[in-house]
Amino acid sequence: MKVRIKLFATLREKYGKKELAVDAEDFRDVFYKASEVLGKEFLKEVFQNRELKEFRDDRIITINGRNIKDIKDEIRIKEGDVIAVFPPVAGG
Amino acid sequence: MKGYTGKTLFVNLSDGTVKTRPTDMEIARKYLGGKGYAVRLLYDYLIDYEKKGIAARDINPLGEENVLIFATGPATGIVGFPESGRYHVMALRSPLTGSIASANSGGRWGPFLKFAGFDAIIIEGKSEEPVYLEVLDGTAEIRCAKDIWGKNVFETEKILKKRAGRRCSVACIGPAGENQVLFACIMNDEHRAAGRTGVGAIMGSKKLKAIVVGGDSRPEVAKPDEFEEVSKEAINKIRNNPVTGEGLPKYGTAILVNIINNAGILPYKNWQTGYNDKADEISGETLAEKYLTKNRACWGCQIGCGRVTAVKEGCFQILYSEGPEYESIWALGNTTGVMQLDAIIKANHLCDELGLDTISMGSTIAAAMELREKGYIPDEVLEGLDLRFGNATVLVELIWRTAYKAGFGRYLALGSKRLAEIFGAPDLSMSVKGLELPAYDPRGAKGIGLTYATANRGGCHVTGYTISPEILGLPEKIDPLTIEGKAKWVKAFQDFTCVVNSAVNCLFTTFALGAEDYAALLSPVTGWDMSAEDLMKIGERIYNLERVIISKYGFDGKDDSLPKRLLTEPMPEGAARGHVVELEKMKEEYYKLRGWVNGVPTEEKLKELEIP
Ligand code: SF4
Repeated sequence: MKVRIKLFATLREKYGKKELAVDAEDFRDVFYKASEVLGKEFLKEVFQNRELKEFRDDRIITINGRNIKDIKDEIRIKEGDVIAVFPPVAGG
Repeated sequence: MKGYTGKTLFVNLSDGTVKTRPTDMEIARKYLGGKGYAVRLLYDYLIDYEKKGIAARDINPLGEENVLIFATGPATGIVGFPESGRYHVMALRSPLTGSIASANSGGRWGPFLKFAGFDAIIIEGKSEEPVYLEVLDGTAEIRCAKDIWGKNVFETEKILKKRAGRRCSVACIGPAGENQVLFACIMNDEHRAAGRTGVGAIMGSKKLKAIVVGGDSRPEVAKPDEFEEVSKEAINKIRNNPVTGEGLPKYGTAILVNIINNAGILPYKNWQTGYNDKADEISGETLAEKYLTKNRACWGCQIGCGRVTAVKEGCFQILYSEGPEYESIWALGNTTGVMQLDAIIKANHLCDELGLDTISMGSTIAAAMELREKGYIPDEVLEGLDLRFGNATVLVELIWRTAYKAGFGRYLALGSKRLAEIFGAPDLSMSVKGLELPAYDPRGAKGIGLTYATANRGGCHVTGYTISPEILGLPEKIDPLTIEGKAKWVKAFQDFTCVVNSAVNCLFTTFALGAEDYAALLSPVTGWDMSAEDLMKIGERIYNLERVIISKYGFDGKDDSLPKRLLTEPMPEGAARGHVVELEKMKEEYYKLRGWVNGVPTEEKLKELEIP
């Protein structure tokens, strides 16, 4: 499935990209596919432990604008989905 | 009495008297300082007026009887107290809303007032001629301001600083305040604003152009060794926190544009939707890449969210400006549909120069644009202005016209509520209690809807910033689209924010520090042993007393509402698609938690909080 992944703030600066399109099998695969373009390092931006299983708690990761922390069911992707990754940000 | 200067200045502009009285430590113990102290004094004024036969409802916000207070707190100006460069402004009534007036500003004016030897300045009465107040080294003088009346904010500051002949800080109004534009603000240190509820118009009505403050005295701390320790700890927490240590310093508040838009709650074109696929063009990232020259922090601040910007060429050229911050980018850009950062920077600069609240200015223009789009504003009143969403030149032009109440600007100067009423479509004003809403659509973050509805000063986000848990996940993530438990969050945030605004220091510290940290910091400063619970009680007391005051003006549950659009028009797209705000259910829970009936505190509640 073709989906888009968008990067913001320091991540955008670090990887020199605002957005990329990937063809992924499932939600986790989106980040693996993105790392093929952005470099292995990118996986550490989203996953917290060495086994790269859990998502990092301090990242804001959304699918079509919904934070994955607010999604109770298993996250499924579909063609055209937009995934966004933000480092911790705030304002007022 | 450590932490405070112990002196409060009472200035009566009607009879020209200036009196110094001791800061009331009994009040300070119960209301801390800043906002809390001011609210308590305002309440006493109301009771006094009532005794004299003047009903609260009859107080004219632009009349002699309105009382304007500038207040600092025990934290203000204390070296080592995180981000303590702020002050709070309050008045009995806002000319924009008729509710209590309240605004907060950074820069260095707050600390400089304490260095001048005073905790607060109370302005009573009204002058016949333009005047300014000079408060230097423990003395205060009312001086003639005829020659500076009409000058803009930056010119005024320059002249008055030179005249004072010493290091000082100036808070003043621009032409907008002089002309009593209902949402005129008070500016200090060039680009810092006590922005909301028209406090600048109140100054204008009193013919008070400026207040100059400066001095060599320094507030003392009760337990210096203990304070040094907790101060270090707090500052470390702020430095090591990814938001206050990296996000805010690097991008400022404008970093929110993309994340709020991504969540589908960045109001676009007067709140017709919450998603704008061009928002990145006006984002914090784009601002940093194209226009940012450096950061500028308020007094004693390690975070330094303030931006210094320049537009080097083109018709919106401006070689030095500060900001715009998130709210201003949104109000002058996204909601007016102007997707040009250079125009937004220029518009923001003009608002600062003329002394206008950017949120109300942008939102009122956006309301006018929708009124025009829907055919409510006839050609005749527009004098050829092309009032279309996205028109950058008209945006800039309208800011000028508003400040001077010229042509169509005289309608805009009344704010969006009156504007929409005049042109026959009141529902197109996106305001609560007459105060234009800030940059988060509550259809996709329900808690902030409850905050807006129940904020004492009207549609405001910074009295209870629940966007923090709902969208940013701080201190923990809660679902923005549900209403469960939101009342509790809103109450806790409102109470804690009262503490921050009474301390007085910057709300942004709360991304890294909680009530325990505040108690640990304030205790050695004041010498009072205060726990987190004590502080939360103080916050609750302040919020309730403010409620008592606004209930005297006739505000109650019916006014704790939201614009119809947010209650009945489902969000058309994005993550919150199909959602409206289920306000009544949240309100019911909230009133119960607060101990209020129909939006008014019960006798038992007042007794419990020891409110007079
Ligand atoms: S964080 Fe920003 S607004 Fe707050 S005190 Fe620092 S510079 Fe001022």
